Amino acid sequence: MSADPFHLAWFAADGFGVKSWGKTFSGRGGQDWADPALWIDLAQALERARFDFIIIEDSSYMPDTYGGTSEAYLKTATATPKMDPSVLAPLMSHATKKIGIVPTMSVSEHHPYGLARTINTLDHMSQGRTGWNIVTGSNDNAAKNYGLDDWLEHDERYDMADEFFDLACRLWTSWEEDAVVLDEATGTWGDFTKVHTVDFQGTYFSSRGPLNAPQSPQGLPTFVQAGGSPRGKKFDARAANAIISGVEGGPAKMKAFRDDIRAQAALAGRSPDDVKVLYLISPIIAETDEEAWAKRRRQTEFAEAHPEIGLLHLSRHSRIDFSQWDLDEVIPEGTTTNGHRQQLEQCIGKTPRQILREGFGQGNFEIVGSPDTVAAQLDEAMEEVGGDGFLIASRDLNRRYISEIADGLVPALQRRGVVREEYSHDTFRDNLLAF
Amino acid sequence: MSRPFHLAWFTSFKPPAWRSPWGGVSGEEWMTGEYYVSMVKQLERAGFDFIMFEDSSLVSEALGGTAEMDLKHGLHSPKLDPFPLLPVLARETEKIGLIATGSTSFYPPFILARVMATMDHLTGGRVGWNVVTSSQDIAAQNYGIDKLLEHDERYVQAQEFLDVVKALWDSWEPGAVVMDRETGHYADHTKVSPIHHEGTYFKVRGPLNMPAGPQGHPVICQAGGSPAGRDFAAQHANAIVATNPLLPRMKEYADDIRARAERLGRDPDEIRVLFHLSPVVGETEEEAWSVWRRTYGMEDPLQVEQTLAILAAVTSIDWKQFDLDEPFPQGLTTNGHQSVLDDLMARNVGKTLRESLTERAQMGPQTVGTVAQVADRMEQIVEDTGIDGFLIRAETGLSHTRRYIDSICFGLAPELQRRGLVRTDFPHATFRDNLLAF
Repeated sequence: MSADPFHLAWFAADGFGVKSWGKTFSGRGGQDWADPALWIDLAQALERARFDFIIIEDSSYMPDTYGGTSEAYLKTATATPKMDPSVLAPLMSHATKKIGIVPTMSVSEHHPYGLARTINTLDHMSQGRTGWNIVTGSNDNAAKNYGLDDWLEHDERYDMADEFFDLACRLWTSWEEDAVVLDEATGTWGDFTKVHTVDFQGTYFSSRGPLNAPQSPQGLPTFVQAGGSPRGKKFDARAANAIISGVEGGPAKMKAFRDDIRAQAALAGRSPDDVKVLYLISPIIAETDEEAWAKRRRQTEFAEAHPEIGLLHLSRHSRIDFSQWDLDEVIPEGTTTNGHRQQLEQCIGKTPRQILREGFGQGNFEIVGSPDTVAAQLDEAMEEVGGDGFLIASRDLNRRYISEIADGLVPALQRRGVVREEYSHDTFRDNLLAF
Repeated sequence: MSRPFHLAWFTSFKPPAWRSPWGGVSGEEWMTGEYYVSMVKQLERAGFDFIMFEDSSLVSEALGGTAEMDLKHGLHSPKLDPFPLLPVLARETEKIGLIATGSTSFYPPFILARVMATMDHLTGGRVGWNVVTSSQDIAAQNYGIDKLLEHDERYVQAQEFLDVVKALWDSWEPGAVVMDRETGHYADHTKVSPIHHEGTYFKVRGPLNMPAGPQGHPVICQAGGSPAGRDFAAQHANAIVATNPLLPRMKEYADDIRARAERLGRDPDEIRVLFHLSPVVGETEEEAWSVWRRTYGMEDPLQVEQTLAILAAVTSIDWKQFDLDEPFPQGLTTNGHQSVLDDLMARNVGKTLRESLTERAQMGPQTVGTVAQVADRMEQIVEDTGIDGFLIRAETGLSHTRRYIDSICFGLAPELQRRGLVRTDFPHATFRDNLLAF
């Protein structure tokens, strides 16, 4: 028995920044981080492995939550530097034919018209392979880069996201599909009766429209989102085509998360099958199980020797300074935030050391072994969860790791018949929703 | 021998001349960017300093309150966002400069600074930013702004915008990235500082969350025509683009920019002034003139309609009511830009409306003939006016085709190169250093 076929995608944690430097297999990752070559290699390798898509994470501020200074972030190149993914995405799609490319863009930072325009251009250039990873601002340092003192309160940010999403969708469809006529006899490029203003007046945004470019091959880009809080899930259920799930606790929790999303999607009037839930994992793979476990031990030792690295992200996401607790002090009940809620809630009652051991943000459950071992683990988990696939995330991204996944793990999964061997469609959404 | 000058090309990310006999399949495929990829490769071979993508974000209804003419002829729209195109063009070339337009009225300065800095890295130091303030309320309304600031105040805002983005680009000091493998130190936080800008229009904390690219600041390009615009350009720009068909006016503009730069305490030699030119070259003089008549002679009713629509958009006058071969109408009034209309009427005294459309469409001094004749003319213009070069454009009419690009890149440009007037190589690594090398 095997799971039904499931999807594979890649989550480029920490965005277009320094992916790996100073380690054995970093290569020139420290020097060449701004060169897009690694990203083009990543896109081509994952297309060879028939991945659905790659998300380029993003944030646009200098973090200083941990210890109240940017020192540790800059020292370790954690979450900074980070460049704009909307101009990296076209290079990745230019070098590929089938894989979806998903830049992250924040509804708190962009105006819907500008964002709709950029994404529409990307979808034209990629011929229907562009996604949008929808995020809302969480860290107040970002708000301060955009003229504000802080973002809206957590749940209201999603009200704003709802409105942004509605307006952007109206702009993307403000040209009817057949508005471009190209009639040489009358010299008519476009038919103005098929291009409409949107005249949108909302609580947070207004826009006259129409967009100044025709509908792109997908019409609407493929929507990706990662809300794990109750309000975030509600947004996902109505908007997302693919959901990034960071739920912890193994297959039972994963299944509960997915069942909940599917039920909410149905309530929102959508087919649950149009929403794919993908779980973040960071498999540790080597030629043998023993070597993989040895690698896992070295990673744990490193994490414990450099506890701040693991806590840097947690601090900036949750907006809670984790340097205030001793490594063996329990995170008290009642700690709350206007930042990412689900992540913080998963920490309460644990000590920082426990969180580091478990490898916070490193996946839903421990996945370690040879390609065949890991393939069996993923197969088994999907069988229990019911779908829809995995998002591979690795902060220490180097070419060797990409090959371990694309040329080791994926062929093992293909031998089991649980992931695709060929793309069946031309556009990203059609491939994503094909099974 | 005359002094060498610069060539650049002016375009936007829009459909090329799709209904030209040489349009090929460009009407269907332009959105992928491949047309512009092949174009920019030719320009690089021909020694062009840069390609510049003009931009706007509106579907114009200036004519008759509907989008009919704008969409029929593809005038203001469609236009795709030039930012995502530039990295692809950079990937396919090695040396040529790449300029995209970004509006100071519509972008938050943090986004603009970050996208430009990212593109400077992605292009290896070959990116430029054409700074515009935007002039159309209908575009502003797409961004939730009912009405743009008044003209001169837009430049005050643009000035503050520039101050902010420059401070962001400078927020990582040189040497901030230390990359010490022994201590595990990637960057030194004492060399990365917030900017804490609080001004009239913008409030920005900073720092930028990335170091600036190889050029530090991208090349700044501007097209200021008004006194406020000229001051802005003289203060900030490395490349200034302008339009005028009359040589004395070109000289006056170039001299004025130098004078303003000096007054503002800037070295005028950091600025290159380029004027629009739409040269028509043929194998023989006769062939060139017959191409010119088809391109700019206003014989094709569709072309007349299109050019009238452009004129209508800038003046809010319906020009269809006038006879094309009568003298250019005088004494008109408009609810639109009266100063633009006054200038237009004054410039066209003694011409017919049709002749004025020709002048409008070719955007610059008439330049027609064999490659040798056109090269002579360009050499003469530079000598007479003191401008620094030309911005070739083929926007209106039917000339934005691969064939036209080839005729410029493989006919005219080699002739100019043989005369030592146009570069044959790019000795420097960055766009700015090449542009300012002569």
